[in-house]
Amino acid sequence: MKRISGILASALVIGLGLITLWGLFPGSPVAFIATVLVQLVVVVSAAAVLIGVINLLWVHLRRVLRGDPGWPYSLALFFAALAVIVIVTLERLNLIGGEVSLSTFLFNAVQVSVESALASLIVFFLVYAAARLFRHRVTWSSLLFVVTLLIILIGWLHIPALDFFSGVSEWIRTIPASAGARGLLIGIALGVATAGVRVLLGQDPSYRE
Amino acid sequence: MTPQTLDVIAGWVGFVLTLLIFSYLLADNFLYRLAVYIFVGVAAAYSAVVAVEGVLLPWLRGTLLAPGVSAGQILFGVVPLLIGLLLLLKSVPRLAFLGNLGMAFLIGIGVAVSLIGTISGTLIPLIASSGTAVGDNLVDGLIIILGTITSLLYFQYLAVRRPDGEIVRPWPLRLAGAVGQIFLIVTFASLYAGAILSSLTIFSERIAFLLAQVLG
Repeated sequence: MKRISGILASALVIGLGLITLWGLFPGSPVAFIATVLVQLVVVVSAAAVLIGVINLLWVHLRRVLRGDPGWPYSLALFFAALAVIVIVTLERLNLIGGEVSLSTFLFNAVQVSVESALASLIVFFLVYAAARLFRHRVTWSSLLFVVTLLIILIGWLHIPALDFFSGVSEWIRTIPASAGARGLLIGIALGVATAGVRVLLGQDPSYRE
Repeated sequence: MTPQTLDVIAGWVGFVLTLLIFSYLLADNFLYRLAVYIFVGVAAAYSAVVAVEGVLLPWLRGTLLAPGVSAGQILFGVVPLLIGLLLLLKSVPRLAFLGNLGMAFLIGIGVAVSLIGTISGTLIPLIASSGTAVGDNLVDGLIIILGTITSLLYFQYLAVRRPDGEIVRPWPLRLAGAVGQIFLIVTFASLYAGAILSSLTIFSERIAFLLAQVLG
């Protein structure tokens, strides 16, 4: 049974993959089928997100009920999620809100504030990590890294006396850094394409394990 | 409650949460963790709401819950539910092999979409723009082409085995790899600087927000 299921899984991957690939080419006669298949994947992915969130809430509720270490955090998470779900549901049913949107209020008060505060904390870790680079050993690569970093940061200041750095910083960002980024992106794209072709040829059976 | 009152409350809630997050600069503490857990709860609930409102409900309204629903619509509407059910079976060891069929469905279509996206959205535009860069400025264009090719060559590990068994990379590849390494270091430094500047900008915005809340 497992063997048949494995063969069926490979046939599904190859068959659906090739039909979708063909359908996504401009002017393809099977474009409609590809659109429907992609739509099905979107719906399944959305269902997976919902199941994931339900699982997350269930895991944290169990931590609270069992009194595991750190249960107060789990309680906060559970009630925060529950509050959003209840508020949005009541709002959609027109039972609360009206002139004011409580869900937007929650979004601005919690999501935006915490997200931007966490993002702003990164500056301390980035600067500290850059300063630690020379702690063990100075290599040509670490030296080049820090010199480039400093030139770009100084260039960003736009101080008239240091105008030279602005020009150099601009050139570094648009020419050599852009070239390296292109190399990285093309390398990633080649890797993705190779992995995709391997899956479509049935050479990568990892999804059957 | 008026929108203005709600804005004021949102401001103070944001103020407190920002301070809780910034308390991490002193040490990892209870207040920081509390704020992060609240954030995770809110973010997870929002993603669930978006998934339900944006995808699942429109799908159900268009298929299973459509007025005068036909047998074809019911069949069509049930397909994602069946695939979802198959995926859930992955967590049952004895029936995990059935879950592979659901995975196969997602992987087959996902691979085709990513393949098309990678080729038409990344590979072709990047190669074309690298080639045309020479027309704008010859020296800069050549540097871009050199940097792109050598950065790619840095990540290849082709080598030859000598008669004595030693494995060495041919010198042209070693040279190209060394040049590519320089370009990659400059790129990473540039990205690092960009990350520092972005987070610094957000940090200054947060400080301005905190001061505005306190000073009015």
